[in-house]
Amino acid sequence: MTHLTLKNISKQFGDFAAVKDFDLDVKKGEFVSFLGPSGCGKTTTLRMIAGFEIPSHGKITINGNDITEKAPSQRNVGMVFQSYALFPNMTVAQNIGFGLRIRKEPEEKVQKRVSEMLEIIHLQEKGNSYPYQLSGGQQQRVALARALAIRPEVLLLDEPLSALDAKIRISLRAEIRAIQRELGITAIYVTHDQEEALSISDRIVVMNMGKMEQVGTPFEIYNFPTTRFVANFVGSLNTTDVEVSDVGQGLLNMNGILLRTAEGTMNKKKGDKVKIAIRPERFNFASEQKKDNVLDCTVENITFLGAVVRIQVKIGDTKFNMDTFNNPFLELPKIGDKDQVTCSKEAVLVLSD
Amino acid sequence: MSLLSRLRRVPFWSAVWFILGALYFILPLLATFEFSLSMERDVVGFKAYEVAFADKEFLQTFGYSIFLASMTIIMSIILIVPTAYWIRLRLPEARRLVEFITLLPFVIPAIILVFGLIRVYSAPLNVPFTDLTIIQPLTNYKFGTNILIIGGYMVLGLPYMYRSVDTGMRTVDVRTLTEAAQSLGASWYTIVVRVILPNVRTALLSGALLTFAIVVGEVVLASFLGVKAFGPYLFLLGQHRAYEPAALSFTSFLLTWAAMGIIQLVTGGQGQVAGGH
Amino acid sequence: MTQIALPDTQMPPPRSNLKNWIGVVPFLIFAILFIFLPSVRLFIGSFTNEEGRFTLANVTQLFTEKYILNSYWLSIKISAITALGGGIFGFLLAYSVTVGGLPRPLRSALITFSGVASNFAGVPLAFAFVSTLGRTGFITSVLKDVFGFAIYDHGFNLYSFLGLSLTYMYFQFPLMVLIMAPALDGLKKEWREAAENLGATSTQYWLRIALPVLLPSILGAMILLFGNAFGAYATAYALTGGRLPIITIQIGAQVRGDVLHNPNLGNAMAMGMVFIMAISLAGYSWLQAKTERWLK
Repeated sequence: MTHLTLKNISKQFGDFAAVKDFDLDVKKGEFVSFLGPSGCGKTTTLRMIAGFEIPSHGKITINGNDITEKAPSQRNVGMVFQSYALFPNMTVAQNIGFGLRIRKEPEEKVQKRVSEMLEIIHLQEKGNSYPYQLSGGQQQRVALARALAIRPEVLLLDEPLSALDAKIRISLRAEIRAIQRELGITAIYVTHDQEEALSISDRIVVMNMGKMEQVGTPFEIYNFPTTRFVANFVGSLNTTDVEVSDVGQGLLNMNGILLRTAEGTMNKKKGDKVKIAIRPERFNFASEQKKDNVLDCTVENITFLGAVVRIQVKIGDTKFNMDTFNNPFLELPKIGDKDQVTCSKEAVLVLSD
Repeated sequence: MSLLSRLRRVPFWSAVWFILGALYFILPLLATFEFSLSMERDVVGFKAYEVAFADKEFLQTFGYSIFLASMTIIMSIILIVPTAYWIRLRLPEARRLVEFITLLPFVIPAIILVFGLIRVYSAPLNVPFTDLTIIQPLTNYKFGTNILIIGGYMVLGLPYMYRSVDTGMRTVDVRTLTEAAQSLGASWYTIVVRVILPNVRTALLSGALLTFAIVVGEVVLASFLGVKAFGPYLFLLGQHRAYEPAALSFTSFLLTWAAMGIIQLVTGGQGQVAGGH
Repeated sequence: MTQIALPDTQMPPPRSNLKNWIGVVPFLIFAILFIFLPSVRLFIGSFTNEEGRFTLANVTQLFTEKYILNSYWLSIKISAITALGGGIFGFLLAYSVTVGGLPRPLRSALITFSGVASNFAGVPLAFAFVSTLGRTGFITSVLKDVFGFAIYDHGFNLYSFLGLSLTYMYFQFPLMVLIMAPALDGLKKEWREAAENLGATSTQYWLRIALPVLLPSILGAMILLFGNAFGAYATAYALTGGRLPIITIQIGAQVRGDVLHNPNLGNAMAMGMVFIMAISLAGYSWLQAKTERWLK
């Protein structure tokens, strides 16, 4: 059942096209992330849903009702801001109750809802504190409670975690997701952090320069990026240019070295130049296990990243990163070693642009 | 966008307040200027300025005020820069005390200050409980009066000068700068003259100009201490002349304007304000 | 006066060492000679009789002498009225160039002009207002010749309470502009958006969020304006020549020694002023701390 629909949305600021032809159906209770670098139009799109910007073209509906040009205060859409935006002159409880009091709900109902919300965000004892007395993480939880207290149709979150420390970021994103699931509320989440988007979302919309690059589940976005931009932005992919040499067998020519791919050559013809992507963790040293592609290489560099060790190898003239899990018994090669790496043909992704 | 549609975007009430404010600012200046131009019957001209500027007493008092202002600025810098620097560098625990002192001139208006100064320094200063005189009454001779008035002006300018310098030192983080210079082997002289002063010169300039604006037209200290400065001169001139005071008032407005304009320029709009008239 | 703020929390101090205090000795000597000694002298004088013995008579006289009480009251009235009037008008002006949506160049013009006007006081200001609203002043003439309205025939007089208030306003409201413009800039755009998002109208936003947030700054600024007018002497003296006996003018007469026979009563009058100023400044600091805490 479609809940929120953005139909053919565009936004111009003067000559600058901030958002182009944005089309999206969001189901009730779905958690959708807009992922992209700054200036890609993700926040503008979110602000159009909130009503702070009016689209130049297109239509936004919630439950089939057109809200495209409705005032922000009439939309019943909750928003959580990057800077928390708690009202500094009000206590936590007054902040959470603000929307309900504006709606002239009876005082006992407001109080009941406020204590409900305080319980949900685990800040029962902080009701009478002022925002400046709370940590950043606590403030953002209050902001979340304030947005949810009005029982909004849709919850909008504009980079809510980017002002917080790494540790709190991870615990709070799990909390946000849990609360969203429990309340079954539709949520749109804007972020530039791919790990955050992958971990929290039902679906991800990857955006670049005002356009949607790819829409899909985190699994699809990570494993099957369809464009070079998505491949580069999500994870740390190796990408390089190759030439199709045999369509039927899925053979690609990378400066004289042949690579096998699973299905990417279907609608290509021999001689086409295409771009491929291979995730670093899909490579192994051939000494362990041989897969479809076995390639001679030279070890160029070794970087220790904690749980993962990243080894840069040179295959022909092309450099690739390969990741291997760290363990105390790992035998690492030395820089300059000649070796062989291998990867399956499914790991070689042919990109559409 | 046409002019009309541009105008329609300007919020009505904001525009009303702004225009009222602009009128309040401009009308008195305009009136003063207009009045200063009408010294000669039926002629609009700068006669009043000519007469006022040609007055020997004007030149003397104005020159004297500029001298006082310059001395105040120099002495303030000599006193305040090392103090503020020392506190940032070595003695942060003195910050509260010194900042408290720099706020005192807000509590003690000029009229009270001069009152107290006269009460203290118009009598000979004795060693406590004896008749041994350390200093003759400062108000009795010219040099003593100069010390008193420059000291008084330093007090009036203290909040602005200290704050300006201290803010300047905070923005450039003098402690780190000093440590960096020391680690490169710089001597104290080099540190102060080549590292610290150039980095706070904007702050110094704005503090100095503000002090200048306060001192040049100051009338309370000068007239009670009997100093023949520009402020008392202008006041007396106003008692028996009409047009010249207007001309000089307008000129002193332009001077204030120039001082503030330069502060705005050098500080990029972060200028300060005086007060306490 | 915008720069008054509580001391900022600084980096952890290096090990305290008594020798380090040598660096601030010149400053302390200056402060003692030119601030403390004069104040202490006035303070002691207020509690001393002519024989040099302790007395409370001077201080009690402040409350019993009608003309002294009247002078304080007149000063308080004129300071309060110009602080309130200048405060409101200055706030509206600051509003118009910050969140009020006027174009950016007007803002810089207003700020620069306010810097000038708040420093333009004393004798030149008095003369400017004589040229403007005096008997033959510019506006007086325009109102009479163009609109046929003679303000001096309708009770207006520049050398009166109203006239002096209008003159004080010239440096009062610009000071307010200078203090409030940064405070209004401190209103976060997100607060408005969050309020709208939660269903509030623009009026509800101003009444429930923006004004309450600004209230300490507004009150604090008005206190500064109050002190600014309360300590003023030159403007009033140049304009009215002492006919309007505000407290600073009374004290001025004391310094000249041409009124009372008891110089220590003058000391007490001065201390009374310092006392009122000190209370204002304390109130200001308290409000300032509150605002800073909120907006941190």
